Amino acid sequence: MLRIRFHGRGGQGTKIASRLVGTAAFLDGLYAQDFPLYGAERRGAPITAFTRISREPILERGVISEPDILIIMDETLLDDPMAMPLTGLKEDGVIFLNTTHSPAEAKNRYKIKAQIITLDITKIGIDTLGKPILSTLAGGVASKIAGIREDSLKKAIEKELSEIITDSELIKKNIEASLYCFNIIKPVEVKTSEITHKGSTVISVPFEAASISTPSVNTAGNIPLRKTGNWRTFKPIFNYELCNKCMICVARCPDGCIAVRNERGFPSIDYDNCKGCLICIDECPVHAIEKVREVHTW
Amino acid sequence: MVAKKEMLTGNSSAAWGVRLAEIDYIPAYPITPQTEIIETLAKWISDGVMDTRMVTMDSEHSMITAAGAASATGVRAFTATSSQGLLYGFEMLYTVAGWRVPLVMVNVSRGLSAPITLEPDHNDILSARDSGFLQIHCETCQEVLDSILIAYRLAEDERVLLPVLVNMDGFHLSFTREPVEIPDIEDVRRFLPTYNPKHAFFKASQPMAQGIAVLGGPIYSYFKYQMHLACMKGLEVYKEISKEFEKVFHRSYDTVEKYMTDDADYILIMTNSFSTLGKAAVKRARERGIKIGLLKLRLLRPFPEEDLKNAIKGCKAVAVLDQNIGVGKGGILYPEIASTIYNEQKRPVLLSFIGGLGGKNISESEFDFIFDNMIKAAETGKAPAPQLLYTETEWNEMEKLKKMAGKPIFW
Repeated sequence: MLRIRFHGRGGQGTKIASRLVGTAAFLDGLYAQDFPLYGAERRGAPITAFTRISREPILERGVISEPDILIIMDETLLDDPMAMPLTGLKEDGVIFLNTTHSPAEAKNRYKIKAQIITLDITKIGIDTLGKPILSTLAGGVASKIAGIREDSLKKAIEKELSEIITDSELIKKNIEASLYCFNIIKPVEVKTSEITHKGSTVISVPFEAASISTPSVNTAGNIPLRKTGNWRTFKPIFNYELCNKCMICVARCPDGCIAVRNERGFPSIDYDNCKGCLICIDECPVHAIEKVREVHTW
Repeated sequence: MVAKKEMLTGNSSAAWGVRLAEIDYIPAYPITPQTEIIETLAKWISDGVMDTRMVTMDSEHSMITAAGAASATGVRAFTATSSQGLLYGFEMLYTVAGWRVPLVMVNVSRGLSAPITLEPDHNDILSARDSGFLQIHCETCQEVLDSILIAYRLAEDERVLLPVLVNMDGFHLSFTREPVEIPDIEDVRRFLPTYNPKHAFFKASQPMAQGIAVLGGPIYSYFKYQMHLACMKGLEVYKEISKEFEKVFHRSYDTVEKYMTDDADYILIMTNSFSTLGKAAVKRARERGIKIGLLKLRLLRPFPEEDLKNAIKGCKAVAVLDQNIGVGKGGILYPEIASTIYNEQKRPVLLSFIGGLGGKNISESEFDFIFDNMIKAAETGKAPAPQLLYTETEWNEMEKLKKMAGKPIFW
């Protein structure tokens, strides 16, 4: 059985990527199962999805804690203690990382032992689809690594996208972009091995007083410590020569990231927390804000 | 058109069941992880592929009332909810069952608040066990679709005429896609003909008062006990229907599913989607030479006592894995199974385990722990105290979280 785990951010297409691989494997005549995990999901937040592919009926459910293949659609997740995408990867597993860097650079930077494949699929998405939406691109990459036939991938994209997109031109572009990714990735051998983590000893849970055992938090709130700046794909940048200080951007920023912090009275952006939603660009009446693609690496 | 196979989530399987059953009326109210059922149906209605009236309601209480009332007019109605929603509409479960109307409802199991959570266990659905709704619990997406078709046949059978709840686990089934065969509509029509109500319908020339008030114990007792008898009759009716289902669709669903139980010395009893994990564990244990099997309960109401007794006959130890907790007592199914076998001359040692609360994974080591305990209990003839499945790693992780939350606090 091949166990594939996808990590991305809300809005990138993580769930659809896992579905494409599931449907493609199913069309290839294999047993398949796919499943996203999300709770209070929202654009930008870490998302995980899973696909299992097997020649035998699948007697597993729920999260994949020991993947054979890891598809990391957003490099910034590697530094996110809430996501920890490398957790549980098998030693002979394969990682795909969406990055501008080479496999050797990524291996060195993130201390990865496993086989690693890299490709800047964000750039491919922007160039071919006009948006950093990665579902079909990551699906193409994952299908290649999983050894799925090109034709099954193509049919899977047609099927899955026609349920959510009405624009047939956009579906065609997605197929082209996905097959481009599929074909640019060299075939790899994924050695599947059995799950080694069997779980630890069962213990007797002791009684604890209500001061400990109630679902309450006694520490001060820590939301300000959780920076969301690395959610961005595009960075909004002010051009103060055009800015007329109308403050519409200040009012419209949904996260309160824009404020007047300098003596000249111009608004500025708190980049530690700006999620890159780009509402400010849409709202600015004098077009004083531009967007620049940001690569959050070293 | 012939049957086709597709990758479907548990939720879309449910929606397909409803579409094929050609439902007339769907009152709806959203709740995670059930909403996808209603979204799918709404899309089909808007696309014109389903001829059904859908109405969004102000709460689950109103929703179940509307669904039951629609059933009482003689149309085929459907609705779905989960967890807090089921509890919010709880009063109406008993009421609608008392009307003796053939409503079919899906519950997508999710742990109950507080603490609020999203992943599954069965306290929500089992809270409705005494309501008069029949209950079918599903392990796979295919079972969800098929059970909805069976449920309408069962509910609409004149010997039963009680509502049915079809249960599936949130996330592990509701959002999980696997290959599902979608039956041909003509086959479905053959198996499930149009509902032809005999006792509860709406016709101007034939006025009737339904759901009347009664004062006095003997009258109340009569109606309540008739509900019980009709529900028990459901066992026999269910068996007939599942045989017919098998003839048409070539898939068989007994009241219980036996997995490697025929020569088993030890049997693990489970329900719903985590049974898949149990089967994998049983298969592994068999490879090590342990004669173990798994018994999955599909029909929870009426309770299949005879089938259960027959399935575990001759085995040395039985473990019940409750994915629920009756606070102040323990697992909810354990005493039901204990009472079923209590008066048997020869009965196995019966062990109680609680696991998978709030969707907690049940790992290999936890299943092995159950198996080891069963073997030991069979040797000594003594059952150990009920045990929560919780691992050392999980405990250590919990200790870290408690520390982060600023516990313990002393004053």
